[in-house]
Amino acid sequence: MSANIIKKFKNKQTLSRLKSRDKEVFTEVYDENVADIHRFVYFKIGSKEEANDLTSIIFLKTWNHIQNNTLEDAKTLRALLYKVARNAIIDYYREQGSRKFISINDEENPIEIASETDTSFEHQERLDQEKSLELIRSKLPLLKEEYREIIIMRFINDLTLEEIADITQKSRGNIRVLTHRALKALKELIEVDETKEPQL
Amino acid sequence: MQQKDLISKLNNLKNVKPDTAWMESNRELFLAQISNSGANELSTWKVFLINLQSASKAISQPAFALGAFMLVLVASSIFGHKLFSQAKPNDSLYIARIISEKAKLNTVFDSQERDKMAVKFAANHAKDITTVLSDPAFNNEANQDQVAKLNDSFNKEMDTVKDKMVSFVPAHKPEVKKEDIKLSDEAVSIAADNKTEKGIQISKNNDEPIVPVLSATATLKTNTTTEQASSTPVVEENIVDEAKELFDKKEYNNVTTKLNEVIENIK
Repeated sequence: MSANIIKKFKNKQTLSRLKSRDKEVFTEVYDENVADIHRFVYFKIGSKEEANDLTSIIFLKTWNHIQNNTLEDAKTLRALLYKVARNAIIDYYREQGSRKFISINDEENPIEIASETDTSFEHQERLDQEKSLELIRSKLPLLKEEYREIIIMRFINDLTLEEIADITQKSRGNIRVLTHRALKALKELIEVDETKEPQL
Repeated sequence: MQQKDLISKLNNLKNVKPDTAWMESNRELFLAQISNSGANELSTWKVFLINLQSASKAISQPAFALGAFMLVLVASSIFGHKLFSQAKPNDSLYIARIISEKAKLNTVFDSQERDKMAVKFAANHAKDITTVLSDPAFNNEANQDQVAKLNDSFNKEMDTVKDKMVSFVPAHKPEVKKEDIKLSDEAVSIAADNKTEKGIQISKNNDEPIVPVLSATATLKTNTTTEQASSTPVVEENIVDEAKELFDKKEYNNVTTKLNEVIENIK
């Protein structure tokens, strides 16, 4: 309970300071969330360059939202950031005319895996990670938009069911069902690929 | 691939991060943009005020919830007993009555008072069971299971009455009072006077009790007071046993009368 109160306090404090145009706290918010938001956008649209541009737009739009007092529709700042991100992605698709084919398996823009040291054991581990990552990232774009979004938020960016429910304006039960279905669909896609592999 | 493996592999995608150089340059650009729109550094006093407001907002909800919970707890312990006291053993609210009575018992710290209250509650339960069973609309073939349960409950309640009564009603064995010892001494002195006046020999034997021949009135008085002191628990226990017997004979009206006597005696 006390952890919940502290979390609530921190959230209210951050929002109040942001409303008072505190530059320092917005820098903190940026540092805490930029990687997550960038990852969310990247896995949604599949292009690193576009993800960079959209992430900048998302933070600027969020700042404007806070200054215009349009915070009521989000319970937390993180939820607000994701809401703004979703809308920005929709706008992006609209500008593109129609939804283009997304492939995260982009050879021109390889995904970098952060590593601080690179010993032989860690190097092997990194290779394994890259291999499974390649498989998953090649399958993620094949999922339904709704399922992909849930998987990114729940399992990659570690959002809680409540937060996802708040962002997507759905009930917690609905999110739980969607998560289960999305995971099942991704698993099936990977299994199909794994059964085909020995024949090749 | 197991679902667990899939989830752990998805978790590995957390390592996908934007370029550090881009993050830094974008941060600078962003700060420049928000500075143009009026962002600045807040004073310590302003930050303190914001912290105070945020703390009060964060605490107010749980504090209100705790206050409401305490209010309900206190109100239910005070008024709950009265609210459910009319519930009969075949009512759905009867369990609420039992719980509220238990809660009330737990709020009494004096053990004797608590036992008295427990006896009163048990006697009232037994009385209510009797009232329910005396109703022919309930006590019939169709409700045999419930009737059997109520019979068991009655016996349990009566056992409670008996057990708890022991703690606040004086013990059964007659007490040897100081007055008796004084009277015995008096008897010896009277006998000693008689010895000198009438020549009667009296020896003080410690093994056998001395029976004062000439102080018959005093002995009678002493016996009477001892009997009075021990009569209360015997009478109470007799009433309980009689009530049980009457219950077995299904003379429910008489059982109620006996139980009323028990409740009256407790008061």
